[in-house]
Amino acid sequence: MRVSTRGRVLCGLSASLLAVLVHLAGGGAVGEFSAKIPKKIGAWTAIGEDRIYDRETLFDYMDGGAEVYLAFDYRDVWTRRYADPGGRELTLDIYDMGSSAEAFGIFSCDREDPPAGIGQDSEYGFGLLRFRQGRYYVAVTATFDDEAIGKVILELGREVVKHLGPPGPGPDMLAFLPAAGLRADRTSYFHSAINLNNRFFVSSENILQLERSTDCVFAEFEAGVQEPASLLLIRYPDEAKAGAARRSFLAGYAPEAGTDGLARTENGKWVFASLAGRFLAVVFESPTAEWASNLVSSLRLPKT
Amino acid sequence: MKHPLTRRDFLKGTTSALLGASLAFGRDGQAAKKARVVLIRHRDVLDENSKVNADILQGMLDESVARLLDQPDGVKAFQTLVKPGETVGIKTNVWSFLPTPPELEDAIKRRLIDAGIAPDKIGLDDHTVRTNPLFVNATSLINVRPCRTHYLAGMSGCIKNYIMFGESQPFYHPDSCADLGSLFKLPQVQGKTRLNILCVLTPQFHGRGPHHFSRRYVWNYKGLIVGRDPVAVDAIGLELIKAKRREVLGKAQELPPVPKHIQLADTRHGIGTSDLNAIEFIKLGWDEDILI
Repeated sequence: MRVSTRGRVLCGLSASLLAVLVHLAGGGAVGEFSAKIPKKIGAWTAIGEDRIYDRETLFDYMDGGAEVYLAFDYRDVWTRRYADPGGRELTLDIYDMGSSAEAFGIFSCDREDPPAGIGQDSEYGFGLLRFRQGRYYVAVTATFDDEAIGKVILELGREVVKHLGPPGPGPDMLAFLPAAGLRADRTSYFHSAINLNNRFFVSSENILQLERSTDCVFAEFEAGVQEPASLLLIRYPDEAKAGAARRSFLAGYAPEAGTDGLARTENGKWVFASLAGRFLAVVFESPTAEWASNLVSSLRLPKT
Repeated sequence: MKHPLTRRDFLKGTTSALLGASLAFGRDGQAAKKARVVLIRHRDVLDENSKVNADILQGMLDESVARLLDQPDGVKAFQTLVKPGETVGIKTNVWSFLPTPPELEDAIKRRLIDAGIAPDKIGLDDHTVRTNPLFVNATSLINVRPCRTHYLAGMSGCIKNYIMFGESQPFYHPDSCADLGSLFKLPQVQGKTRLNILCVLTPQFHGRGPHHFSRRYVWNYKGLIVGRDPVAVDAIGLELIKAKRREVLGKAQELPPVPKHIQLADTRHGIGTSDLNAIEFIKLGWDEDILI
């Protein structure tokens, strides 16, 4: 079933016809999954109707989490529920994020668990499987957790990934980060303040002036002390916006900083905000001012 | 510009002040003038499988509401909230991962009937409250839902539970759901809320994944937070969430981003009090690992 403003409910249609309609409506290929994804995984059987939610109807599916997806180039999500004979349920969501970079982004903002070996990046823990493949981001969610459901969820994930097409590249900004000390599996890519604050709380206000047109990489680096230092690298549409954002950030976060953009925070660490063309680099929790400066100097930024 | 709440405020220890809170809340002698909030807990309200003991829960509801209203028992307490002949809507929450427990809904319904409300004049709804005749015609509302963190609003509590009364939910989403308090001024709602119950039997203190839910971040706290003032109830709920986050996630992640709507419900919309110094906080029952 597609739930959209283009045709609020299309029910009783065959999966293939639905897929055609989805294509005609410009919504991507997620409707095809109804025919491709197995309806039975072990003792678990698909229940209810498959549904699709686009950018306008995602609020009908998520309570509050929709903005996290809409902050990316999210297109549609195809979703199906499965139940076992005891009535326990799990949910399969396949999100068309528009590009492989965006699929990396939504995956990268919420990493906590060990890899699951499915797709390009994955993790599994406590009844939640998350992975990305090409332009798709997939989540399989159970509201409970035991060894048996873990096996079912991973088996479902391995079935799903077969239908997601080839892998795709991550965001170009990942290549700008220095390799030394980088905790690669903690690097996140996003655009908006909501994603930043869920990943690393900076401010209750959007003092970095983030929006859909800004590209952000948040990365953690070993800094020779117990806690890592963090780097937020932002690419703005132009130099003027980058400069304005730096001024806004320093005014709201480190008003005592001089023209060098350096300030010592209450825990004895350093924050540093540095401009390079339309890029703004902000280092948090740096052990020294010099360390922060060296980290920014080691960025491999393009000339433009 | 107005000082935004930033990460550095955590380092300074000033977040509570910025959110209108105080670490010494509920302790001075002027309790009579304050918004009263009651937390009640019972060790055995959940079994080892988190199944609710309905009888114990009924007792918790009765004792807490009676204490809230200085009445001898739950029936008499509900009789002060509603009158026979009224139509009453119970605004519940059906979020599939952590809904209002049906045992709690039943306990409320039972006491409404005991207070003289006809069973066919009691509505129980979430998503269709705007059109449900029992809510359209309701003269009183009971506001009940579980306590959990939320990607946008920071916390989903009694204030946010009324978002379904709004014509457009996304309308209330900008700026971390800053203006959720305005929901209580909608014609269908204003002046009708008799009781707010924040269910903290199994609160959720952190979220993950597309639906912001992970079993690992839900714990058996085995409590209810009740009050007449939805803002005061949520302010106490937020203290609980913060305390659990401090304990499990560490001081740096104490605050879920960014629960400003609770303070703004007070300071911008005037529907209640978020200042913990202006809340009379009463704790009943089991106090092990109470956190607040």
